[in-house]
Amino acid sequence: MVNRKGKWSTRMLAVVSALFAIAVMLSGCGGGNSSVGADGEAVTITYYTIDSPDRTFVEQLIPDFEKQHPNIKVKVATAPYEQFDSKLQTMIAGGNAPDITSHFGYGGFAEYYNKDMLLDMTDLLKQEGFDADKYKIPKNLMDIYQVDGHTYGIPFSSYVTLLLYNKDLFDAAGVPYPPSDYNDKSWTFDKMVADAKKLTVLSDDPNKQQYGLQFGWGELDNRPFYFGAKMYSDDTWKNGGMPSETYFDSPEAIAAYKKIFGLVFDDKVSPPSEWSASVAGQGGDPFVTGKVAMSVGGSWILSGANDFGFNVGVAAVPAGGNDKVRSTLFVDPLFILKDSKHPKEALTWIQYLLQTDIQKESIELSGGTPPVNQEAAEDYYAHFNTIDPKDLKNVYEGAYEYGYESFNHLIANYSQINDMMINEMQPVQNGSARVEDVMPGVQKKMEEILARTKK
Amino acid sequence: MITSNRMQESEVWTANRPRRKVDFTRVLSFILLILITLTMLMPLVFMVTTSFKAQRETMQYPPTLFPDSLQFSNYVDIFSRLQFGTMYQNSLMIAGITVLATLLSSSLVAYGFARFRGTGRNLMFMLLLSTMMLPYPAIMIPQFVLFSKLGWVDTFLPLIVPAFFGSAYNIFLLRQFFANLPEELFDAGRMDGCTEIGMYWKIALPLSGAAMATVAIFSFIYSWNDLLTPVLYLNSSDMFTLPVGMASLTSSKFRVAPWHLLMVASVLALLPIVILFILAQKRFVEGIVLTGIK
Amino acid sequence: MYAFISPWIIGFTVFALFPILASLYYSFTDYDIIHSPRWVGLDNYREMFADDLYWNSVMVTLKYTFISVPLQLLLAMGFALLLNQKLPFKGFFRTAMYFPSMVSGVAMSLLWYWVFNPQIGLFNYVLSWFGVKGPAWLMDPDTALYSLIIMSFWGVGGAMIIFLAGLQGVPTSLLEAARLDGAGRLSIFWHVTLPMISPVLLFQLILGVIESFQVFTQAFVMTHGGPNYSTWFYVYGLYTSAFKEYRAGYSSAMAWILLIVVLIVTYIIMKLSNRYVYYEGGKSR
Repeated sequence: MVNRKGKWSTRMLAVVSALFAIAVMLSGCGGGNSSVGADGEAVTITYYTIDSPDRTFVEQLIPDFEKQHPNIKVKVATAPYEQFDSKLQTMIAGGNAPDITSHFGYGGFAEYYNKDMLLDMTDLLKQEGFDADKYKIPKNLMDIYQVDGHTYGIPFSSYVTLLLYNKDLFDAAGVPYPPSDYNDKSWTFDKMVADAKKLTVLSDDPNKQQYGLQFGWGELDNRPFYFGAKMYSDDTWKNGGMPSETYFDSPEAIAAYKKIFGLVFDDKVSPPSEWSASVAGQGGDPFVTGKVAMSVGGSWILSGANDFGFNVGVAAVPAGGNDKVRSTLFVDPLFILKDSKHPKEALTWIQYLLQTDIQKESIELSGGTPPVNQEAAEDYYAHFNTIDPKDLKNVYEGAYEYGYESFNHLIANYSQINDMMINEMQPVQNGSARVEDVMPGVQKKMEEILARTKK
Repeated sequence: MITSNRMQESEVWTANRPRRKVDFTRVLSFILLILITLTMLMPLVFMVTTSFKAQRETMQYPPTLFPDSLQFSNYVDIFSRLQFGTMYQNSLMIAGITVLATLLSSSLVAYGFARFRGTGRNLMFMLLLSTMMLPYPAIMIPQFVLFSKLGWVDTFLPLIVPAFFGSAYNIFLLRQFFANLPEELFDAGRMDGCTEIGMYWKIALPLSGAAMATVAIFSFIYSWNDLLTPVLYLNSSDMFTLPVGMASLTSSKFRVAPWHLLMVASVLALLPIVILFILAQKRFVEGIVLTGIK
Repeated sequence: MYAFISPWIIGFTVFALFPILASLYYSFTDYDIIHSPRWVGLDNYREMFADDLYWNSVMVTLKYTFISVPLQLLLAMGFALLLNQKLPFKGFFRTAMYFPSMVSGVAMSLLWYWVFNPQIGLFNYVLSWFGVKGPAWLMDPDTALYSLIIMSFWGVGGAMIIFLAGLQGVPTSLLEAARLDGAGRLSIFWHVTLPMISPVLLFQLILGVIESFQVFTQAFVMTHGGPNYSTWFYVYGLYTSAFKEYRAGYSSAMAWILLIVVLIVTYIIMKLSNRYVYYEGGKSR
C-alpha cells in the first residue's frame, strides 16, 4: 500500500490540477480587468449602473462607441437599485472596481467622496482639454461636484421632482387638470389633497379600487423639508455632509410626517404600502398600473411614459409651506473611481455620452432620461406623446427655481441612513405605530450612524 | 373509489384486522392524499397557466385558472427583456461542471474513506461530518477575501472550484454506499491484478449508478439554486446566473412587477430539474433507499 | 487512502479550516474588507450583544426554526405513513408530493411571492371561497414570518421520501411479531416503527435545524428582511452587515456565534438521541 500510495498521489495530483486547469479555461474570463492598457491594445472599461431599462439603455450605445474607439471595450455591470451601493462596495473590495459609475443607488456623492472612492479628475480634464461648454453643461451644475476647486464628477442627467397625473382618471372624475405653472398661487398642497379625494375610489372589489395621490417627494428623510421642517443642522452643507445635529424628533418633523402618513390613514387618498406592493411589486410604481391618479416623485417616474397605456400629464409640485423649496433636484454626474486603471479611456466614454446627438439619442433609447446638455433639453420636453412640451418645460424651469440638491447626494454614509429610515418607518407606513412614537427611535439611530461615520 | 378487489392484496400489518375498519382507514387515507396532492400541486398549476397570461390579466382579481388567451410571446419576451438566454447558459454550464466535479471528487474521497484504514481516518471522518454542519455564511467573508486576492471576483471560479474538492454531504452519502459493497468483489478484482484506482473505476463506480445519480441530482439542484455565492461574486450582467437574474424580478427593475414573466422564469428554471427528475426518478429513489441515510 | 482523500484534505484546509480561523481573527477586528483589519478585542461581540437588531434576528430565526422544523417533520412523517399503504395511484401521489420539494431557491420564492400577494394572489383567493378575508401575508409584519413558515411546508416532500424509504426498511418480521403479540396499530408504530426509523428522523431533524438557521433566499428575494424587520433572519443580517454596511468584523463575530450555536445544537440533539434513537445492532457510525 505504501508504494501504491506514492505512485497514486503524484498521478492524482496531476488529475486534480488538470481538472482545475479545465475549470479555469472554461470559465474563460480571466481575472477581471487585468488587461494592460499598452498603446494600441484594447482596454476594457466597466460602466456600473442599476438594472432598470432607463439606465441600461447605454448598452445599445456601446457598438457605436466601440466602432469609433476600437481600442476601448465597454462592459456594463448592473445591480438592482436597492443593492446598488452594497454591490459597488463588494466590487471594490473584490479588486474588481468599475471604472465609471454614478450615485444611482441610495447613497450619493458625499458618501463616495468621504469614503475616498472617487478620482480627482481635475488634472485629467485639463490634460484632455475637457470643456463643459462644448457639452452645454450649465456652470452651476458643474460646480455641484467640485470640492475646493477640484472636480470629482461631471453631470450627465438632471432629474427634478414633479407631479405626474393620469389624464384619463381626471377626465372620468371630471376634475380639471393641475397647473404646470409654479406661480399659480391657487395650487397648494391642500388643493392637491382635495382633488385627490375626488379621484379616490374605495371599494371592496380590487378591480375598482383607485387612489388619488402617491406622495414620493424626495427620500423619506427629505420629505418634511417640503413642509418647511429642518432635518439636518446647517453645517452639514458646508463640512462635507457630516451633520453635527439632526432634528428627526422635532415637533415640526413629527407634524410633517403626520401630514404625509395622514394621506394614507386620515385622508385615505394615498394607497397603503401593502396595496402598492401588491399591485406593482415591492420596488414597483402603482401609478403605472393606472390605478393612481397623481404621483409626486423624481422625474424618473416619467421615463417610459409613452408605454404606460394611458394619457399622462405633468404639473408643478404644489406649494406646501416651504416658500423657497418645492422640488428636489437630482443631478446625476458620472464619476471615475479611484481604482480605475484606465481613467483616460473612462473619460473618453463620458465625453461620448455627453455629446449633443448622443444625449438626444439617449432620450429615445431610455424612454425619457432628462439630459444635462441644454441643447438636448428641448428634445426631452417634446419626447412624451401626451404631454405638452410647454408644460414639461414650465415644470422643469419652476423646479430649478424652487429646487434644492437632494440630501442623499450631500450627506455622508447616506445609504445606511436611507436603509435605516425605510426600515424604522415601516410600522408607521403600515399603520401599526404612530409617528410620534417612532421618531425618537429614528433620531437615536440617526445619531448612532453619524457617530459611526465620524469614527 | 377503493375497489374491494384491492383488499385481496395482503398487507402485513393489516391482514388480521376486521375488513370494514381497514376499508375505512384506507378510504380516508386516499381522500386525504388527494386533498394534500391537490393543495401541493395547485401553486404549480397556477404557475404554468399564469406564465401564459397577458400582463393585464395577471393583475385581475380573482386570478383565473385558464388564461383568456395564450401568450406564447411571454416565453420570447423573457429572453429579450432579461438576457435570460445568457443567464440560462451560465447556470447550465456552472451546474454541469459542478456536477461532474462533485461526482468525481466526492466518489474518490468516499472510496478512500470506505476502503482504507489509514492512521487518523476516524478523526478525519469526524471532521468531514462536522463540516456538513458548517454554515456557509460562517466562512463567507474569509472566502470572499481569499477569492478576491486571487482575482476571481466576477468569474465563475468561486462557484466551481470548491466542487473539485468534494462536498461533505455527498462524500458521506457515497461512503455509506461504498462501505456496503461486498468485500468479495474487491478480492476478485485484486486477483485479476486490479490496482486500487482500477477497482474504484471498474468495480465501485459502475455499481453505484443509483447513488451517483442521487449525488448528481443533489449537487445539480444545489448549484442551480444557489443565490448567495453568485450574488457575492458576479458583477457583470453577462456573467449572471439564473437565480441572480431572477431575484431582480421582484426589485425595482420593473415599474410594475411582471407577474407573468415571474412565472415564465420559474417555469423555465424548473425545466432542467423536471427533466432530470424524470430521467433519474427511479434510480434516485432507489439511491435514497440504498444509501439509506440512516 | 491519503491519495484518494487528498482532494478533500486540500479542500477542507483551504475552504473550511482557513476561513474558520480567519473569521475568528476578523471577529476581533474592525474590518471593512477594503482596508486592513484593525484589532479591537471583544468590541464586536460587545456591540452585538447590545444591539436590538441582533437579538431580533436571533428571535426571528429561532421562531422560524422552532415552528417550522417540527411541523415539517410531523407532516413529512404523516405523509410517509399515508403513502406506506397499499393504495391505488401510490406512485403518482409520491411523485406529486415529492416534486414541490425540488422547486427550491429563487423559483420557489417568486412563485410564492405571487401566491401570497394579498390582492391578486392565490392564497387569499382560496380563502375567500370559505368567506375568509386573508391578511396581507408577506406585507404585514404580523404575518410575514408565518407566511414563510407555511411556504416551508411545501418542501416536506424531501423528508417524506426519506422517511418512506426508512419505513420500507423496517423488517416485516418485526412488525409481524409485534402484531402476533397483540399490539395495536398505534402501539406498533410507537414501539417498533418509530424506534426503527429514529436515526433517519434524527438526521432530518439536525439537517432541518441547521438549514433553517441559514435561511437567506426568501428574505433576500421576497421580503428584504421586512416588513419592520419581521423576517430579518440571522444570515440575512449577517450578509447585510458584511456587504451592505461593510462591518465584516462585526459579521464575523455573528458568524462565529452561529457556528458555535450550530455545534451546540447538533451536540445536544445527538446527546438526547442516545436515549431515544435506536441503531441497528448497536453499530455506531
